[in-house]
Amino acid sequence: MVRDRYPGWDVLSQRGHWDETTRKVVLDRVHNVPPFRYFDSSQIITLGALCARVIPQAHRSPERRVPIAHWIDQYCALGSSGGFRFEDMPPRPVAWTWGLDGLDQSAGALFGSRFAELDGDRQDQVLERIRAGDPPGEVWARMPARRWWIFIALRDISGAYYAHPYAWDEIGFGGPAYPRGYAALNNGAPEPWEPREAPDGRRRT
Amino acid sequence: MRLHVHLSPDWVLDTEMREYRPEETVDFCIVGTGAGGGVLAQRLARYGFSVVALEAGPWHDSETGMVSDEAGSANLYWNDLRITGGTDPLELGANNSGRGVGGSTVHYAAFCPRLHPSDFRVRSLDGVAVDWPISYEELEPYYERMEREYPVSGPAHFPWGKRHGYPYAPLQAGTAGQMLVKGCVQLGIPVVAGGPVAIPAGSMGKRPHCIMRGFCLLGCKVGAKHSIHVSHIPDAIEHGAEIRTRSMAYEVAINDQGRATGVRYYRSDSNGRIIAEEQQARAVVVAGYAIESPRLLLNSRSSLFPDGLANSSGLVGKFLMAQAAPVVWGRFPEMIRQYKAPPACASTEEFYETDPAHNFARGFALQSVSPLPIAMAHLLADENGRFGLELLEAMQDYNHHGCIGVLGEILPDARNSVSIASETDQYGIPVAYVHFNLFENDRRLMEFGAGTAQRVLEAAGATETHWTPRYAHLVGTCRMGFTPDDSVVDQWCRSWDVPNLLIVDGSVMPTQGSANPALTISALAARTVDWLRSAVPRGELQTRPRPRDQHVL
Repeated sequence: MVRDRYPGWDVLSQRGHWDETTRKVVLDRVHNVPPFRYFDSSQIITLGALCARVIPQAHRSPERRVPIAHWIDQYCALGSSGGFRFEDMPPRPVAWTWGLDGLDQSAGALFGSRFAELDGDRQDQVLERIRAGDPPGEVWARMPARRWWIFIALRDISGAYYAHPYAWDEIGFGGPAYPRGYAALNNGAPEPWEPREAPDGRRRT
Repeated sequence: MRLHVHLSPDWVLDTEMREYRPEETVDFCIVGTGAGGGVLAQRLARYGFSVVALEAGPWHDSETGMVSDEAGSANLYWNDLRITGGTDPLELGANNSGRGVGGSTVHYAAFCPRLHPSDFRVRSLDGVAVDWPISYEELEPYYERMEREYPVSGPAHFPWGKRHGYPYAPLQAGTAGQMLVKGCVQLGIPVVAGGPVAIPAGSMGKRPHCIMRGFCLLGCKVGAKHSIHVSHIPDAIEHGAEIRTRSMAYEVAINDQGRATGVRYYRSDSNGRIIAEEQQARAVVVAGYAIESPRLLLNSRSSLFPDGLANSSGLVGKFLMAQAAPVVWGRFPEMIRQYKAPPACASTEEFYETDPAHNFARGFALQSVSPLPIAMAHLLADENGRFGLELLEAMQDYNHHGCIGVLGEILPDARNSVSIASETDQYGIPVAYVHFNLFENDRRLMEFGAGTAQRVLEAAGATETHWTPRYAHLVGTCRMGFTPDDSVVDQWCRSWDVPNLLIVDGSVMPTQGSANPALTISALAARTVDWLRSAVPRGELQTRPRPRDQHVL
């Protein structure tokens, strides 16, 4: 279970201290979630199931869950290459489509069912095979599975999640810091307005 | 035309900029406005030459075009398509190529070390790669000037390379930088803090000083961090240079005598239409960095130059180098809050030179780095593909993570290269294919460097450490050398084949050392302009360069 390490921290409470341009970008992300435009309804179900395994959000109340799949759809709809394409991969949006097809193929080969219909443990078993680079499925014969996993799936899913202020709350990040800046620079100290870590929330090492 | 661009909250570049008509023949047309092109434009304009600099991207207004936000800053990067391959394909876009006035200096961390004297003689000293056609001493005065012009903060006595000090006081360190210092001190490794970094500790003219916000890699909204667009471009404009934005060069125009006559480019007008234009010029400078410069030259094919321009040696695009830049992180029991203060702060160059005790040639630097949340999540995910609670819980330790960047020298190899792919970009211009393999020396160096950084983190108190490969900075591909057979340009960055064509950016570097390249690129540009100032009136751009004798060095 994910512990609440920074109880009560709400980075959006600081938005009055952010510059207008940044505030608009961050609040847009919270309030103007783009509708699905790129994936079809079947792919959206697979994508939703994938995002839920990569970034579990069951510990959050439904209205505080980051709608990661919408942002993946948005990147793909915009068609940006992000600056490059791997020579052994299709363009990024196509790699996403192939990968979602591949998840269902692997789930079918291993458990005779679609990925989204498996329980969490079995979904993780499928993902572990992709992570290891040897999943079953025709897609994975034409696209390297491990490269897809790390450079497409994990990049975009973790990127969409940690772009969101609700994720910043979870990790105690201070958020945008202009024009206010930081004054407490020694010993990892918080600013007066920054969260303290809960004493019992710290992971034991 | 009237410019109105914020360079800092209280500094608006609100000025009339000289405009040339494309058919008007200017002295110099420069492609690119980064560490090379920007310094070149500024100095040439000061010396009375007429200058048009073409920039593919826009101005980044610090108030409206930059945000304190990782995901919202993609506009700073070169996001046009490139194909990447090889056994160790480089991720492009994002951290290694900028787009817009100032180039990659807009988003760089601003670490500004010099190369060491040994970097110019690695063939003679270590039997690897090649020697430069110039010595450290020939570049030294230009390092000194650039350190004052950027300017660069740092210790009064810098203990590595040729001894020197920095003109501006060290910048304050955050906890992350102090952690690197602590670990090095524990191990008896000499270390410096507060620079060399191009963020002045005090206000500079209209540039306020740093507010320690830690978003250097997303563009400095404060205007405190150096970028060419705050340090040199305003001066270039004041002295009559035109910076023509949203203008993507696709071909260097050539006449029957094999001389450059200008640059063809696509300009996006205010209505979003794309217009093909050609700027006439008496001399052309390509300054598009290690991928776009060879791409432009290789795409400038003609009956006179069937293999691409300036490519009689066949070396355009060859010897691409990235720097090995694995990030090593440790988890500390105490809080670090690494997002505070500029990531570029502390470093050691104690492992920079070849050490006979190592099983590899050349070396590396260790530098403070401080990934923001998305960058940290990517490191954690990259290391072993971790996901789910394993990823989430590791990220909950974000404020306990301290990171060190290894910056290691990857040796030039002809197999690492930029060539032209069959695909085209949004303008219809054939895109670059970037091929990159790691070789044995590179792997050994990277692993040893990462291991050293792990020891430093542990000495500073980290209870567990990890690392994952990363690459930074792209140089090589149009190397300078002694003769037309061994290189693309001569010691003044001039093409051996086309006498009025220069290449002035990181692509001319024959080797890269373990220093971030911006300062070296600017120093090379300043040296080239000093030569041009007297060479142009002497008519030297009319005749091909003469080889340089190795024995003079």
